[in-house]
Amino acid sequence: MLQAIGAAARLSRTGLSRSLPAFSTSSRLSAEDPASRKEAPIIDNESVFATPEEKKEKMTQVVAITVPTKVDLSPITGVPEEHVKYRRVRIYQPPKNAMQSGTNNIQHWEMEFDTRQRWENPLMGWTSTGDPLSNLKIQFKNPEEAIEHCEKNGWVWFLDVPKIEKDFKPKSYGVNFAWNRRTRVSTK
Amino acid sequence: MSNSIIKILALDKVATVLSMIRQNGGVFGSLYKLYRQEELKDGKLVGEDSFGNKYYENPRYFYSRNRWVEYSDKFNMNYDASQVPAEWYGWLHYKTDLLPHQDPGRPKYKWMAEHTENLSGTTGQYVPYSTTRPKVEAWMPKPKTSV
Amino acid sequence: MLRQPLSRALGLSPSRVAPLTARKFAEQVQAQPDNVELFIDDQPVSVPPGTTVLQAAAQIGVEIPRFCYHERLAVAGNCRMCLVEVEKSPKPIAACAMPVMKGMRVKTNSDLTRRAREGVMEFLLVNHPLDCPICDQGGECDLQDQSMAFGSDKSRFTDIHFSGKRAVEDKDVGPLIKTIMTRCIHCTRCIRFASEVAGVDDFGTTGRGTEMQVGTYVEKMFLSELSGNIIDLCPVGALTSKPYSFAARPWETRRIDSVDVLDPLGSNIVVATRTNEVLRILPRTNEEINEEWLSDKSRFACDGLKRQRLVTPMIADSRGNLTPVDWEEAVVAAASALRDCPPDKLLAVAGELADAESLVALKDLLNRLGSEKVCTEQYFPLEGAGTDLRSSYVLNTKIANVEDADFVLLIGTNVRFEAPLLNARIRKAFIHKETDIASIGPKVDLTYEYIHVGDSASIVKDFATGSSSHEALKRLESAKRPVVIIGADQLKSAEGPALLAYTQELALRLQDKLADKEWKVLNVLQRTASQVAALDIGYKPGVGKHLQDGPKVVFLLGADAGVVTRESLPKDCVVIYQGHHGDVGAAIADIVLPGAAYTEKRGTYVNAEGRAQQTLPAVTPPGRAREDWKIIRALSEVCGARLPYDSLDEVRDRLGELSPALVCYGEVQNNNYFAQARQLAQSLQKPVSGKLDVQLKQLEDFFMTDAISRASPTMAKCVQAVIKQKQSPY
Repeated sequence: MLQAIGAAARLSRTGLSRSLPAFSTSSRLSAEDPASRKEAPIIDNESVFATPEEKKEKMTQVVAITVPTKVDLSPITGVPEEHVKYRRVRIYQPPKNAMQSGTNNIQHWEMEFDTRQRWENPLMGWTSTGDPLSNLKIQFKNPEEAIEHCEKNGWVWFLDVPKIEKDFKPKSYGVNFAWNRRTRVSTK
Repeated sequence: MSNSIIKILALDKVATVLSMIRQNGGVFGSLYKLYRQEELKDGKLVGEDSFGNKYYENPRYFYSRNRWVEYSDKFNMNYDASQVPAEWYGWLHYKTDLLPHQDPGRPKYKWMAEHTENLSGTTGQYVPYSTTRPKVEAWMPKPKTSV
Repeated sequence: MLRQPLSRALGLSPSRVAPLTARKFAEQVQAQPDNVELFIDDQPVSVPPGTTVLQAAAQIGVEIPRFCYHERLAVAGNCRMCLVEVEKSPKPIAACAMPVMKGMRVKTNSDLTRRAREGVMEFLLVNHPLDCPICDQGGECDLQDQSMAFGSDKSRFTDIHFSGKRAVEDKDVGPLIKTIMTRCIHCTRCIRFASEVAGVDDFGTTGRGTEMQVGTYVEKMFLSELSGNIIDLCPVGALTSKPYSFAARPWETRRIDSVDVLDPLGSNIVVATRTNEVLRILPRTNEEINEEWLSDKSRFACDGLKRQRLVTPMIADSRGNLTPVDWEEAVVAAASALRDCPPDKLLAVAGELADAESLVALKDLLNRLGSEKVCTEQYFPLEGAGTDLRSSYVLNTKIANVEDADFVLLIGTNVRFEAPLLNARIRKAFIHKETDIASIGPKVDLTYEYIHVGDSASIVKDFATGSSSHEALKRLESAKRPVVIIGADQLKSAEGPALLAYTQELALRLQDKLADKEWKVLNVLQRTASQVAALDIGYKPGVGKHLQDGPKVVFLLGADAGVVTRESLPKDCVVIYQGHHGDVGAAIADIVLPGAAYTEKRGTYVNAEGRAQQTLPAVTPPGRAREDWKIIRALSEVCGARLPYDSLDEVRDRLGELSPALVCYGEVQNNNYFAQARQLAQSLQKPVSGKLDVQLKQLEDFFMTDAISRASPTMAKCVQAVIKQKQSPY
């Protein structure tokens, strides 16, 4: 049943959102182990022409630490448990402001936390919040990075991807004056 | 000579004590004042304010202890320093040596408010209130006509 | 480590992939001729012939400045801001109107282009007032931004000493839109929106040159249910929102992406808040639902969230007057009423704004107390397949696909006011795809021409059996992608089951003949945002039968449609109302529990096509109001029928158990079992004789339909203004 839904969903939306799980999964990081990819290794010129001694020295210098299991930083970040366990992170692409036509500054992904209670101070009527994360918005290049960041910090996340890609349709100035189509403009 | 004998025998102290007791209304009166004020003093009554607080002065005492107030009996044990009105405050704290009625420079207008004591901790205390308009208008149920 | 993006690893290109369905239709329509290759800033781009230069530039992420061009409106080409240099062309060309040509070399950042832009900018600013500090568009103004980016650094404007700046009289176009026409730069976006999308040909220009004015010719209100969108479209501050005027600057507000619940489509919205107060609501682009538009009710009814609110629990005293009490007292009173009631006398009614979480909590609570009487206000026939098969109560075609339809049949629905954005889609198909529309039902203004077949229910029968000789049926039968939409209001009457049965018969008869097996014909347009979720969860539609049983305790979950009245209940019946507005329901209640409105909670709503979406909390519920499912959870604890969930995630797990579709946010499933539904409905095909009528006929009926919009002063003003406009003598 669930598979059927997934398949149906894949049909109706863009490729981007479909390629990702829509909720947090703990097994995600280990599943996409780079070692399992079928790709030719990338070799640069320097390492090809290097002498064995140089190679050996380089190997000792470059120490890549690979962590095969899921990393959870939350016990050592010092963030109170309240803000780790009970927060939900929304990962999304910032929507275009409906009032403007420009699309700068919205070509990235963002994460934000759920809105928490605000209250009014009796003296001036200003509002306060006890939430230190209410102004925290982090930008990412793509949702994978955002998800990885959330997983690392132990936050529960979800992806919010409305379909914003429009089907491409050529526009024409001529249709304004078509004599046999409804696109003919009546008012100028 | 007799003075020196009196001094040696500390009889003048006894006389002071006796005069204190006399001034404060006898033995029981004095015990009551001791109970209420934890102090027994004699001095010249220099004035009384509108609340009935009495102000005394006795230069025999050391400076800063030689002017004092005996709070009105109506305050009973609930007296505190804020019950001294502003006009007496200056004399009591040595800002001036002139008593209120002797000081020609003090303004006295009809509109001047009567002194109020500090009401903190009582039901009459000042509580700040919000001056902002409420953001949400609550629903008021229609009162039902009694059937 | 060399790490690659996941999408690349999986062999998927993340951008510019058209959805499969769209690609499929595109292939069917016509074989695409060869693409044209051109160069924009020396980058090669290949686009279909007929594409404009501006669109081609957008393909490779080069944004050409524009004022008049809007991708959802016709090309006007009158602002000249999009001038770009093309090699071997003597003059710069307007990118928005110029079709691409093979081998064209476009320079969007050359000296000539920049000079052209600067010149256009200078001309625009000559006639534009410098009142940005008092302009509501300030901070989100295209003219501001583009004059910063492309304008000149100094002014040569000396006319101020002679004839002064141009000034234009402001127009009055109703209580929603404020006009400051001096700021107008004549982009004509509002005119094009009104005539193309809204279908109300009221706007236009008069005069020419400096004397040119945009207006309504004679002063009149802009009588459209989509009028608010011209505020968004206006690139300057000529058209701004009247209720929001001088309220806030865009950088002061917090924007929370949410979902609208005031109509059944669940449009995506952005809620702008400041100081714990909803200031305005803007649309958020979602191609599958609302594109970029928003109906006026969804946009302007937000001030209703601040009035007539229930802020504290209340209990009726001995004289029947509701008096404020503590939560504890109210919960104990409500719980003891529920517990002491015999299970067969217990009734719960869910209203139109209830979220799926509170719906499932309430149903679980009543089931635990031994009652099965949970129902919604809106009726739906239970005969035949009833609500067992999802295909018979949602929009199966899906909103976005309606624009691919080639013939639409509306049965007893005024789509324009029941689902304004669905109507906008139909109008889009009408204009751009030459789709024809037929309607069975009362003659109403749908903003486009349609074949009016009649308003008798028997026409549906004739259509279903194929015995009608009407032109519309012939068109329908020859259509490649027909759509049949029936309004859920028609199913309330005694003939409802038969009507639905005939509609199913008609739709499936059409569907079986189609070459495209994926295409769905049958659509039922619900009227409220909660109905589909409630039916998914297992609520019984309609209260009629249960009211006659004489319930002892009635639990109203935001039921404000006036279906349950004091007169219809026994005298000693206890009415518990849980909701956010003091409206019809709270007025008859004995115990009132204040809940949260849709901007104050994380709630799941399922729209008319069966797409689950969630609202996100933008502000805190006022006073002592709480989230709805939490109130029911607390009640269950005191009742002694503890519900097994303590957090929202657990409630959603429970929702997922009932139907996985309820937690697949943003997705919509394809429905099946059409044939079975048709089979079950066959026995219900009885002769029908009634007339089809709709509830919302005129624009003034549209504005106030639910507890929130009834509390909104702006909506009340709209109704007044529309009535006044219609009485206007000219």
